[in-house]
Amino acid sequence: MRSRGLRCIVSFYTTAGAMAAERLCRREGLEGKLISVPRSVTSDCGLAWSAPPELRETLERRFRVVGIEAAGFHELTL
Amino acid sequence: MRENTFVRRYGLIILAGVVVGAAALILTAAGNPKNMGFCIACFERDIAGALGLHGAGKVQYLRPEIPGIVLGAMLSAFVFREFKARAGSCPASRFVVGLFVMIGALVFLGCPLRMVIRLGGGDLTAVAGLLGFLAGILAGIVFLKKGFSLGRAYPVKMGEGFALPAVMLGLLALLLLAPGLLKFSEEGPGSMRAFWLISLAAGLAVGFIAQRSRLCMAGGLRDAFLIQDFTLLAGFLAIWATVTVGNLIMGNYSLSMTSQPIAHSQHLWSFLGMALAGWGSILLGGCPLRQLILAGEGNGDAAVTVLGMVTGAAIAHNFGLAGNADSAVDGVYKVGGVGSAGMIAVVIGFAVLLAVSLLHLPGKEEA
Repeated sequence: MRSRGLRCIVSFYTTAGAMAAERLCRREGLEGKLISVPRSVTSDCGLAWSAPPELRETLERRFRVVGIEAAGFHELTL
Repeated sequence: MRENTFVRRYGLIILAGVVVGAAALILTAAGNPKNMGFCIACFERDIAGALGLHGAGKVQYLRPEIPGIVLGAMLSAFVFREFKARAGSCPASRFVVGLFVMIGALVFLGCPLRMVIRLGGGDLTAVAGLLGFLAGILAGIVFLKKGFSLGRAYPVKMGEGFALPAVMLGLLALLLLAPGLLKFSEEGPGSMRAFWLISLAAGLAVGFIAQRSRLCMAGGLRDAFLIQDFTLLAGFLAIWATVTVGNLIMGNYSLSMTSQPIAHSQHLWSFLGMALAGWGSILLGGCPLRQLILAGEGNGDAAVTVLGMVTGAAIAHNFGLAGNADSAVDGVYKVGGVGSAGMIAVVIGFAVLLAVSLLHLPGKEEA
């Protein structure tokens, strides 16, 4: 069974934003995966990007540079 | 630890499914049509009829369940500080897509929620609808993967978020204070109704728990296919299991392809109608139930979508697009289904959804 641990959860305004983030991270070899956005983050039922917390600054920078609009960065134990 | 993880992840959504399923059973026992304890498409169609937006005399009643759902979701959003007035995500496109989602659902004779409730009554004609719904969702996912988006919503003034809840309060006021202004069916599905207070209470409960759990028929299947996450799908399954068990206990379960309540045997058009509803729901980001919940949370785009669905219901019945149920006349079983106008409307619906999908793909510089 997968153990719980701290993750950096990036929420987006649109599903397209989450999928663009996935494409970018795959292309650049950045670890992470798409998940259903946790209920504690929002009442929206979209997708979020879950990554190791140490990648937060990298993700913030890369998303800003390529124009992917993140709704928020959250550190959660999942 | 494993149990705790399961409860944390699936507990609320399964509870929501059980509440919705139980509410459907109670409403049917209290007077709503069989296998139609809850149906967002049918109830919005009945409301359109009650307001005189269409003239189909058998489907006119201001169903309190719909205002209940919106107001229950609003109450929950307020209690948990999640009410956010937002709008601006392609409202015109959402209106049009909502309109065709409704036409697709009425060709099948039910929204995705009623599809599950029909399955829970043993209605095997709904299997074609389920397969169509899956196909429509897969079509929507293809466009999501290509970057489809109606764009983000932006914060707006609070009053915008109250628009649909206020309309719903107005509808309730009409029903209770000025029923003479409304149309009421004297026969057919519209004449079958639970006492208004039971309907309103059921709607409030469903709206509240659906807001907390994010219950969504389309979202559940989208997440299962797209990211192999089965959380929302568990709610879908919980509704089906609850309704099945309830119908078995109450002796209302009838596993058959024929003589099902308010259902028809034109399986191809059940498939295509729900494919249209499924595809449209993915483009909208949620099924008809979810649109009501989002509108209750203050989402103006979802409110516009709901108005599009009500318009779609009026169009469906004014132009003879909706499916007709199978019936028994003088002991002879008469297969219902969809007329030529309904078939043409479904084809037009697919063309419109394709156009909306293609027009909202990213340009080359954005891809």
